[in-house]
Amino acid sequence: MTRMRQLWSFRRILPWLGLGLCVSLTTPAWAVPSFARQTGMACAACHTVFPELTPFGREFKLNGYVLDNIKQVTGIDISAHETLALNSIPPISLMAQISYTRTRTALPDSTIGGAAAKDGDLLFPQQVSFFYAGKVADGLGAFIQLTYDGVGDSFGFDNTDIRYAHHLSFGGSNDNTHSVIVGVTLNNNPTVQDVWNTTPAWGVPYSGSSIAPGAITSAKIDSGAGGFGQNVGGLGVYVWLDDHFYAEITDYTSAIRGGAHPLDSTQSNVVSGSAPYWRLAYEQRWDRNSLSVGAFGLNAGLHPGLQGTTNTALAGVTDKFRDTAADVQYQFIGENHLATAMATYISERQTLDASVLDGFAANVHNNLKTLKLTGEYYYQRKIGGTVGYFSTTGSSDTLLYPAAPVAGSANNGPDTNGYLLEVNYLPWLNTKLQAQYVGYQKFNGQKTNYDGSGRNASDNNTMYLLVWLNF
Amino acid sequence: MKSTYLVALAMSVSMCVGGLAHGADVAADAATDADKAALRKLVDATCGTCHGANGRSVSPTFPNLAAQQAPYIELQLKAFKDQSRADPDAQAYMWGMAAQLSDAKISALAGYFAAQPAPPGRGGNSALVAQGKHVFEEGVPARQIPPCASCHGAHAEGMATFPRLAGQHAPYLLKQLLVIQSVLRTAPVMHGVIKDLTRDQMQAVVAYLESI
Repeated sequence: MTRMRQLWSFRRILPWLGLGLCVSLTTPAWAVPSFARQTGMACAACHTVFPELTPFGREFKLNGYVLDNIKQVTGIDISAHETLALNSIPPISLMAQISYTRTRTALPDSTIGGAAAKDGDLLFPQQVSFFYAGKVADGLGAFIQLTYDGVGDSFGFDNTDIRYAHHLSFGGSNDNTHSVIVGVTLNNNPTVQDVWNTTPAWGVPYSGSSIAPGAITSAKIDSGAGGFGQNVGGLGVYVWLDDHFYAEITDYTSAIRGGAHPLDSTQSNVVSGSAPYWRLAYEQRWDRNSLSVGAFGLNAGLHPGLQGTTNTALAGVTDKFRDTAADVQYQFIGENHLATAMATYISERQTLDASVLDGFAANVHNNLKTLKLTGEYYYQRKIGGTVGYFSTTGSSDTLLYPAAPVAGSANNGPDTNGYLLEVNYLPWLNTKLQAQYVGYQKFNGQKTNYDGSGRNASDNNTMYLLVWLNF
Repeated sequence: MKSTYLVALAMSVSMCVGGLAHGADVAADAATDADKAALRKLVDATCGTCHGANGRSVSPTFPNLAAQQAPYIELQLKAFKDQSRADPDAQAYMWGMAAQLSDAKISALAGYFAAQPAPPGRGGNSALVAQGKHVFEEGVPARQIPPCASCHGAHAEGMATFPRLAGQHAPYLLKQLLVIQSVLRTAPVMHGVIKDLTRDQMQAVVAYLESI
């Protein structure tokens, strides 16, 4: 590797690191009062504390968001078949997040070398979302989110899950009857359709700072808005048998909004063909407890397309990502005490033939391993908190993970780990006041001077205060 | 000739009436099948989600409905619908659930769950169960609390609008005693009966009821 090539790669990647800085910690967040309006049930029926789902909330989602207890506008044909069953009140709701972020050490000024940006940033709002979330027709429901992003000052299409579910019973007498839900999902973010909070789209933290530095990389399935989230579309089928067994397969392809269409070399990370996602889970419920054990994964071949300022054709060899994950979730939902424990482990194997060929990566084979452990407790759904540990380790790559102030890695490694502490107070079930602290033991490869510009991992420790309203 | 005509006419009328009657039967059967299918769907996809499709729930937040007295289920569903039963869980879960139920559906649901096999008892702390049995069968004379069995039946099987209590989740029953005592849930007879029932006595009697 020549110095020229290093600089060339660095210049090309730097703007994208900056973008990654902004989006990598943006955690989509949802909780939808329109479901409450449609069902007539309080948030507590479906959520321990939003957005985490209770067993009933999981059933509601698996049944297609269609449970309704409000007056319907109906229609039938000449054979008395239903042609319309529409909520008389549209299931619409609004979410607002106002947040304040402060990192332990101020971030550098974006233009003036050596100067620092203002330490402490108020986002008013961080995010405002409109939802249509509820029944569309008998068996057919939709969760559609439109979001204004306070950092990007833009309004756009956010998470969407449209699903049809059909309930079947088979077998003999009462005790031998089997119950199965067969469903179809059309969605734009792998795992947004999932019902456990151990998968990335709905995982902890449920809300985090959108401006604090984020780790240099994450597994494809764990990348949210910085990866596949809202940049793909997938059609899948699932079965939910006897309230125990869940199996799903969904096939995704690129559905990038904006830019060149049909997709061409000016778009980035374009799925070659399709990317299958799979999910298996088993849940056992007893008394006030539920325990689920599962696995999920995603296989994707990507054309790098535009990387930095270099366009590459959407043809030839691809970068292949094979994500395999295991997850466990335990919930106790008592009258006064609620507790949840969650663990997720994701292993990603990368075969970067295209990126190596085009000079975007040094190694053909890389890997990433991510572990997330979370414990939550709430008293009467009013006050509680979260303790979490997160860790990503992986192979070093001089081109994928170059040194750069704040966002880069001096040793070209992706290793990042730390802890999360959170205290939440909910004066009402639809209002959350949150104080969160994220502390890093290692950031982008090292504890000290991780970026080669003198910044330590702990300089990125982040205090995040949030007012989160749903109505 | 005339008689042939009359016979033919009679046959035609008979066939026609028979046909109509048959048609009516078919329609009635179809309606019944459709109603049964609708009831099954309602039970499986809605009620059963919390109460179990066979009326036996997993979480003690939600009561067992299997073998519950049909008139009691009807009364409660109507009280949820008109919001006269207003304890916290009633508001959180059942007000919405019952809002769009017709009287016919309420009656069908009550009949369905009443017909399900009763949940088996689950043994608890034997001393507590024995104490609870005593309260259930003898009441607490010192506090003017009559025997529960006098309304709920010797085996807690219930009677009409007096609910079955046998085999019910103890935490659910305890919560009901507390919300009735605090008048968050209106139950005129019970308000007088349990106003002086202590928490320890409640815990004993619900342990006994869960065990039978």
